[in-house]
Amino acid sequence: MAAALRPAILRHIRIPVQTLGRSRPLPCLHPLPTSMIRSMSSHGDDHLTREEIVERVLDVVKSFPKVDPSKVNPDVHFQKDLGLDSLDNVELVMALEEEFKLEIPDKEADKIDSCSLAIEYISNHPMAV
Amino acid sequence: MVTRGFLESSERSLSLSPMASAALVPSRAEVLSLFRSLLRTAGKFSDYNVREYAKRRTIDGFRESQTLSEPFSISSAFADGMNQLEVANRQAVAYSLYAPKVKNMMEIRSG
Repeated sequence: MAAALRPAILRHIRIPVQTLGRSRPLPCLHPLPTSMIRSMSSHGDDHLTREEIVERVLDVVKSFPKVDPSKVNPDVHFQKDLGLDSLDNVELVMALEEEFKLEIPDKEADKIDSCSLAIEYISNHPMAV
Repeated sequence: MVTRGFLESSERSLSLSPMASAALVPSRAEVLSLFRSLLRTAGKFSDYNVREYAKRRTIDGFRESQTLSEPFSISSAFADGMNQLEVANRQAVAYSLYAPKVKNMMEIRSG
């Protein structure tokens, strides 16, 4: 008897769910009010374009005090073409980390010794900002 | 309050005895790793002035010792660097307890 009572009681207690017809949007949402169109929000474009990355990397390298900006291009090698040494290399990679808000592990950072490798690494990094 | 010369004076860390440090000539990779660790620690300071000083001092310190050739001087310089790294790590924590609430003017990017 208790088993039959339970659904009966629940039928009384539970409020039936009413679904809105999907055919017709709510009047206040149609047409979409301008406050809902976020034209200036950059939420969707989380991905850096390659051109942006290249430009920013070159900027960081050019603003490094020991570098001659006129020699900088996307294929340049830090030590062979720009005349930097290994300490400068570490400094440069740290400057790139700051620019893109990344933390590059030491093993990877040691391998980055040219603009192209830097651009490659940053393009593949999901967290680059 | 810790003065700006903290890296040199405020904490007298125990340095390795001369006999011990003579045997510990660091490899190139270790030196670069120490350099990077020091720069990373320097970046953690909450005070703009101390942060910039730590970065400058690291770079200057390594440049000065770049031309050392004697194993003893190399290993003692490296041991100094390791001690300074420990000091800097502790101080970064200590400074963060008293972090300024307002950003230093130099840190504000002008729009």
